[in-house]
Amino acid sequence: MIEVASLTKRYGTTTAVDGLTFTARSGTVTGFLGPNGAGKSTTMRVVVGLERPTSGTATVDGRHYADLAAPLHAVGVMLDARSVHPGRTAFRHLLAQAQTHGISRNRVHEVIGMTGLESVAGRRAGTFSLGMGQRLGIAGALLGDPGTLILDEPVNGLDPDGVLWVRRLVRELADEGRTVLLSSHLMHELALCADRVVIIGKGRLLADASVQEIIDGSAGAASLEDAYLQLTADSVQYRGRSAEDSATLPSTGSTR
Amino acid sequence: MSAPAASSSTQVASRRPTAGRGPTFGRVLASEWTKLTSLRSSYLLGAVAVVVSGALTYLSANASSVDPGFDPLGSLTSGLVLAPLGLMILGVLVGTGEFSTGTFRSTFTAVPRRLPVLAAQVVATAGFALVTALVAVGAAVLGIVPAASSRGLAVDLTGDGTPLVLAGMTLYLVGMALFGLAVGALLRHSARAVVTAIAVTLVLPIVLMLATDLSTDPMAPVESGPPPAAAVVNTIVTLLPSGAGSLLTTPDIGAVEGAPDLGPWGGGAVLGAWILVPLAGAAVRLRTRDAT
Repeated sequence: MIEVASLTKRYGTTTAVDGLTFTARSGTVTGFLGPNGAGKSTTMRVVVGLERPTSGTATVDGRHYADLAAPLHAVGVMLDARSVHPGRTAFRHLLAQAQTHGISRNRVHEVIGMTGLESVAGRRAGTFSLGMGQRLGIAGALLGDPGTLILDEPVNGLDPDGVLWVRRLVRELADEGRTVLLSSHLMHELALCADRVVIIGKGRLLADASVQEIIDGSAGAASLEDAYLQLTADSVQYRGRSAEDSATLPSTGSTR
Repeated sequence: MSAPAASSSTQVASRRPTAGRGPTFGRVLASEWTKLTSLRSSYLLGAVAVVVSGALTYLSANASSVDPGFDPLGSLTSGLVLAPLGLMILGVLVGTGEFSTGTFRSTFTAVPRRLPVLAAQVVATAGFALVTALVAVGAAVLGIVPAASSRGLAVDLTGDGTPLVLAGMTLYLVGMALFGLAVGALLRHSARAVVTAIAVTLVLPIVLMLATDLSTDPMAPVESGPPPAAAVVNTIVTLLPSGAGSLLTTPDIGAVEGAPDLGPWGGGAVLGAWILVPLAGAAVRLRTRDAT
């Protein structure tokens, strides 16, 4: 379970995340949506301890990321496909990650198999296409068989086959009781695989509800995409029933 | 997923205990060693250090072999003018590699305490550099053999402080790799760090020497010792990483004119400071700043 509470992150005078509160529950796929620059990636980086919050907290299973005894076994992270040295082969990249936790070579081969990278595991990551890079990032996230997965735009650059694979994978992971937090700009994709959706704009929470609740709550919206565009265009405050305990949301003005 | 389906989160969370499965220093070191040895650049730069060491020593020994009082062992360290650069740049690339490529995201999410990563990089780089340095010193020894045999001289490595010179050469090479690592870890940008490291070790001494040569009057009387400008420059050059490090290889020779007589130990200590100070800065930056 990921809990973000009153999280604020400022860079100088720029406020990237502004009093954000939401929870990604175990056993569910939580879609994380927002326009570019809304603060999704910043929020994810704070959750995994790469950045410090200006105020507020972000915890995984009740702990700050830095306090996790074995981070790779608790949280699988894919923030950016470009998190690999281009001169290193996929196998050696994953092996180096695995070795920090004493994870076996067999497990490395296993995640390479799961992500369909067998034929390119010996190739240097710099030669990879965007889609192959995404698969490598997902392989790294799966290494420790973690109970929580944080995936920043995992389907970005994937072929249709890969998109379908990610959809099935995250569903399976959630059905096994894991927490999955997944950001994407592909609304149809999220509508198909997410149980709940957290929408932010300008660093603030705009909606936190199930896909159906969000569609129902937006007047005239026939799809998640319609609802999303309405929410982010006008910063309409929308809170699903289960988000009632969230912080009060001031209006954020137009984001488009 | 190959894992069996579980019906609730508590089953996933408690499926395996996490105690003892997290990062230890040994594990982080294994990881950093894998990273260092999985890049072509590491081997390439190591090879450059070995080849430059052997080739420069060979050329220098051949050139001096015509001198009547030729001592082959006197040419042993002549490769050290340039050979350390290969290892220094190798160190720089280890230090910057995480940041210039975005690898730090995978690294620091696996080891959120971060400092063990820097410590492991120091140990892994020192290990790789030590092996390379031993080969490079071996190449330097081979480099003097042709010149020695052309004069019918035997190369005896056991006598007259020579083992100390060989050890000093090795230490100097390893030290320069660690200096590069420290600069790279502090500056995080490969180009910037390489330029800085080369400027401090190679360009600055040459520029300073040239400047004083041009500014001093060669006809001036020498009884009063070196001119003050030359003394200052010699002091600075001696205190730079390359000047201090090369003192490790010259146990018998006194100080340059006007410069403090540090000796091998003092020189080693100064080189050590050139490693530790930027490393400390890099450590502070790692702990206190966001990794973005």
